Formats: sequence, structure tokens, C-alpha cells
Amino acid sequence: MIATLSASSSGSVMSRVGPNIIHHVSNSDISHPIIHLPTVAGINLSVTKHVFMLWLVAIIISFSIIIPIRAFIKSKSNIPSGWLNAIEAIVQFIRDSIVKPNVGEKWVNTWTPLMLTFFFFILFANGIGMIPIFDVLGVINRFILNIPYSDSHNFINGLLHGGVTATGNFNVTAGLATITFFAIIIAGSMAHGFLQHWKNLVPHGLAWPVYIILIPIEIMGLFVKPFALTMRLAANMTGGHIALLALLSLMAIFGEMFHSTAAGIGVALISVPMSAAIAGLEIIVVLVQAYVFTLLTSVFIGMAIHVHH
Amino acid sequence: MEATALLPIGMGLIVIGAGMGIGRFASAAAESIARQPEAADKISGAINLPLFLLEGVAILAEVFTFLMLIL
Repeated sequence: MIATLSASSSGSVMSRVGPNIIHHVSNSDISHPIIHLPTVAGINLSVTKHVFMLWLVAIIISFSIIIPIRAFIKSKSNIPSGWLNAIEAIVQFIRDSIVKPNVGEKWVNTWTPLMLTFFFFILFANGIGMIPIFDVLGVINRFILNIPYSDSHNFINGLLHGGVTATGNFNVTAGLATITFFAIIIAGSMAHGFLQHWKNLVPHGLAWPVYIILIPIEIMGLFVKPFALTMRLAANMTGGHIALLALLSLMAIFGEMFHSTAAGIGVALISVPMSAAIAGLEIIVVLVQAYVFTLLTSVFIGMAIHVHH
Repeated sequence: MEATALLPIGMGLIVIGAGMGIGRFASAAAESIARQPEAADKISGAINLPLFLLEGVAILAEVFTFLMLIL
């Protein structure tokens, strides 16, 4: 953070703080991607920071969750050991207290795999945003390997641009919520048949003028559910990081305002512990948001399966 | 006065509304757990979902305010 703060373009501190914060939460520039790839069907496939983070999260999940579980299933033993105990506890929690109460006994084994995928992916993608791997890599690159920050062909320097939390990007969460959107439709279709699912959207047996209001509302609700999921996850992740960076930026702002280093250091005595506390809060938010996304998805799927009309 | 000058007031109103909502949730939960400590698990389970829905509304309002500010 500090390395990029001093390396930003010139101007007063006040005009640099805002862009610096945005730089640390948004995706990296598409015109300077980490890996150049060709444009296919009008979509630029170049790997930016958030895409890179998605793949990194996928690799970490493969090695820490999927491969151990595959090995465990293959070993035919019923007693998990070591790391698998932790995974078992999480899997059991999600199946028994998130999916089963909402989706019901009959469909729990159908929908638990999707919920587990959501939970682990969101948890790891959120959590990796709280680990300053790239800041450390940047420091090593700058001071141990002695590569200047301005060297744009260096791979690690390319990694330093953009935010680390892939779930802080609205496009990523919109992709996740699209899966929820189709999961709701598929769940309803599997439980009641395709046509009956759409008939279930509105209660039957009402006077006909009610339907004029009710049908548009229900169709809107169909899209509002995944939209709210999108906004909740992305805004929570972005908001926390903005709060952290804004508190840290107070040091630079106060130092500039009073034209003294002492003012900056004095504010640092308050703002650094504050941001440490908010970082602790963020770790709770990381867990809670992964939980909320899974919970709400299973609630919506349960609403499509158990229609109370 | 420009419209964007009122946006911070809007953000403040969102915070007041969400804070009052979450405060009422927390007080109701604390009260009911105090009355019936053995039902604490059920109460906290029942309070989770509406709490997150409320939080979602507040977050949506914040996002729209923020978007109006920067667009």
C-alpha cells in the first residue's frame, strides 16, 4: 500500500487519496493485463487481476478441499483425520443447519453440493482479500530483487495493480448470482415440473384484478433476488476495504493539512489501531458473507420447492 | 444547490434507518433469549435471515447513493 502511495502521480495528497483507494479495490486496467490473450467474439480474454485471483482461488480450493476429499472417498475409511476433520465440520454444518431446514429432507442431497461450492468459493475468495500476499511480494520485488516499480514488463509489478478481493467485483458476484437464478428455476422444475413451477409463482384462486398487480411483482421478484445477492456480496467486500484504506489515508491527509510529519504520526497512533480493529471485523464479515450467500440461495431454492399458497 | 450536495445526507439517513432496524433486531433477540435461554439457538437462527435481508436493503441504498455520487 505504502509503496504505491508514494509512487502515484504528483499532485496534492487530497487529490491522490481517492484514486489510490479506488485503485486498491477495483479491477486492474484491461489495457495493461497480467497475461495478454486474444479477443474472441468481442470479449477481451486477457487476464486482469480479478480473473487471476479467481483462478488462484480455484487452485487453492482444488488443493485444500477437493483433492483431500477425493482421496478420503477413495481410501474407504470412515474416520477423517487431520485437515479433513475441519472440512467435515463445515460440510456437516452447511448440510444440517443451512440446506436441510430450508430445502427439506427430500432434496437435501441434491442441493448440498452446490451450496458447498458456493460457500467454499466465496469464503476463499473473500478471505484471500484480507491476506496481503501481493503487498509482501511487491516489497520483496522492490527491495530484495531491486526491480524498480516503474518496470511494467516485470510479472510481479503487473500483479500489484488492482484489488485482491475478486468477490468485491460486481461482475464476479453477478456471475455467482446467475447460478442462483437458474438453480431456483431448476429446483422448482424438478419438484413440480417446468410449467407448474411458473404457475406456482403466483397463488391461485384469487380474484382476477389481483393478478394484474401480482404477476408483474412476482416477475420482478424473480430478478430482484439474485440482484440483491450480487449487490450484498460485492458492496460488503468493497465497503470494508474502502473503510480500511480511508482510515489509513487519514495519516497522509492530516500530514498534508498541517504541513508536518508529526501530525501524520499522531493520527497514525489512532488510525492504525482503528484499521487493525476494522480488519478484525472484516474477518467476521468474510465468514458471514459466505454464510449469507449460501443461506439465502438455499432459502430461495426452498421457496421454489415448498410453495405455500 | 446541486443534487449531489444532498447525497451525504442521504447516506446518513440510510445509516440511521439501518442502525435503527438492526438495533431493534438485537434488542428483541436479547430480550427473548433472556426470557427463554434454552431457545437461544432457535431465536438466533430465526433472526439471521431477516437481519441479512435488512442489511441487503441498506447496502443496496448505499450502493445506489455511491453510484449517483460518482456517475
